Amino acid sequence: MDQPHSPIHVALTFNDRYWALAYTVMRSICLSTTRRKQVVFHLCHTALQPRHAAVLDAIPTEFGARLAHYDPTANAAFAALVASLPATDRFPSIVYARLLLDRLLPPGTERVIYLDCDVMVCQPIESLYDIDMGGHPLAAVFDPFHLGIKKGRDIRTKTTPFDTGDRYFNSGVLLIDLPRYAAADIPARIRQYADQGLLKELFFDQDLLNRIFHDDWQPLDWRFNVLNPLPAHESMHPAIVHYTGFRQPWKLGMGPGTAFGRTYRHVMTNAVYYRFLAERSPAWLRPVIGWFSRSGAA
Amino acid sequence: MSARPIHIALTFDDNFWAPAYALMRSICLSSRRPQDLVFHLIHIGLAPHHRQTLELIAAEYPARLLHTDLAHHAAYRDFVALLPMARPFTPVIYARLLLDRLLPPEVERVVYLDCDTYVRGPIETLSELDLNGHPIAAVLDPGRHKAMLGRDFRQNRELFSFNFAYFNSGMLVIDRAAYGQADLPAQTRRLHDSGALARIQYDQAILNLAFKDNWLPLDFRWNLIWPWPAHEVLEPQILHYTGHRKPWNLIPSAAFANAYRHTMTNDIFYAFWRERLRRRLLSPLRRLAGRG
Repeated sequence: MDQPHSPIHVALTFNDRYWALAYTVMRSICLSTTRRKQVVFHLCHTALQPRHAAVLDAIPTEFGARLAHYDPTANAAFAALVASLPATDRFPSIVYARLLLDRLLPPGTERVIYLDCDVMVCQPIESLYDIDMGGHPLAAVFDPFHLGIKKGRDIRTKTTPFDTGDRYFNSGVLLIDLPRYAAADIPARIRQYADQGLLKELFFDQDLLNRIFHDDWQPLDWRFNVLNPLPAHESMHPAIVHYTGFRQPWKLGMGPGTAFGRTYRHVMTNAVYYRFLAERSPAWLRPVIGWFSRSGAA
Repeated sequence: MSARPIHIALTFDDNFWAPAYALMRSICLSSRRPQDLVFHLIHIGLAPHHRQTLELIAAEYPARLLHTDLAHHAAYRDFVALLPMARPFTPVIYARLLLDRLLPPEVERVVYLDCDTYVRGPIETLSELDLNGHPIAAVLDPGRHKAMLGRDFRQNRELFSFNFAYFNSGMLVIDRAAYGQADLPAQTRRLHDSGALARIQYDQAILNLAFKDNWLPLDFRWNLIWPWPAHEVLEPQILHYTGHRKPWNLIPSAAFANAYRHTMTNDIFYAFWRERLRRRLLSPLRRLAGRG
């Protein structure tokens, strides 16, 4: 994979609610990489408002990277898959698109980096893309919060098929070997779990992937997916920060409590930051946000 | 008696006399060779009683102290006259660019440290580091992006890029000859003449442009920027108290703040605090009287 002129495939899956975050992920990758013209973004999303799509489509103009759009809902396999799986506001059906990347992306794509849209890339993305995966279909980072995810309150109230000692990764940053991923036949495995009555015990896509690729994944350095990143992490040179948890830098006043909160806003650009903030705020607050935006607060 | 002297340079003005003392004492405490330590104290406007306090280091440890008063250096005065400056910085930050001209001729290798640093590891590890032919060794700056590229990362693009390997200049291991060859005053004048100097952030940007892709990166623990209590378990070797949370504040929240106070010693800690309090209380009165 270590070819300096070969494409670097990156996949994002999101809906219109996360348009500005997707823009920030892409811009952070383009700003940090030394191979920005080789980056190909595969954007798997449901319908976007045209003005949001226009912002995303500005990435190739600014950086020379390539962009391809996919609508997973037009894919029969995706429709069949999500019909059997739970969805919420926080975890809409589009999160399952990562399970079908081998079917959504163009044939012949060998390797792809999947990223949640609540991440920011701080180091060249090729340092992840070119990693030796040791023959595994996936490479990922251990999830430090796995005990609660697996077993719930008091680490005993939730029933899942996982043992507390099992290795368990976070699915927000994945390096995927697509032929091996396809060989796992994820839809068939999910049907099997449904037949066994296991689906109700699995925590969305992340549990499914951990169940399917149990002990068949390559652990990555924690810096490739720093969960709940705090200012203390900044000096440790993280490669990808993942804004899980309550503090998220795109929320009003939340930047200072996160790692690189201020940097995040400038990667998003102030114009997009204030527009996104206004869209998610009540109508009475929008004139105030507009004033901040015009006054150049940063 | 052991081997080569360990040269350490600090540049400061009277505002940082007590942190300079704490820094030197931290180095003496953590070095296995205090008898080889030579501190080059390059300062301006240092009050005589503060200078006496600094000399206590040589009384407590077998280290040597050599003073250079920048007030007597016309070259320094002429150099800083053309340079931009904004609070809270003062012109003395530029003195590090002249180290090859300010240090005694026998110095071949020097460790430069900002006075808001605190050393916890043996400094000789740095002074005897193999620089692999590079003129300097340093640590990547985690706050570099905004410092280089400004708002929305769209400024200074002709000078920097997002992935420019930009180091923090608060800790530098310097090969004196190679540093001198870079002719930093001439590079600074060129930046001034092109108008770029007014848009970049001081000595650090000048050094980064001068040594672009020609410096040895060190582990982040050798210059831990903005240290939080969460970092204490990582055994940082040098803490760098950038930002507002300083360990010399009365209620600090930085990593190793308590250890810092005992390194500064409680007498000096409180004397420094009283001085700053007095200055803060008096400065509005001085402004009113037209003297500040």
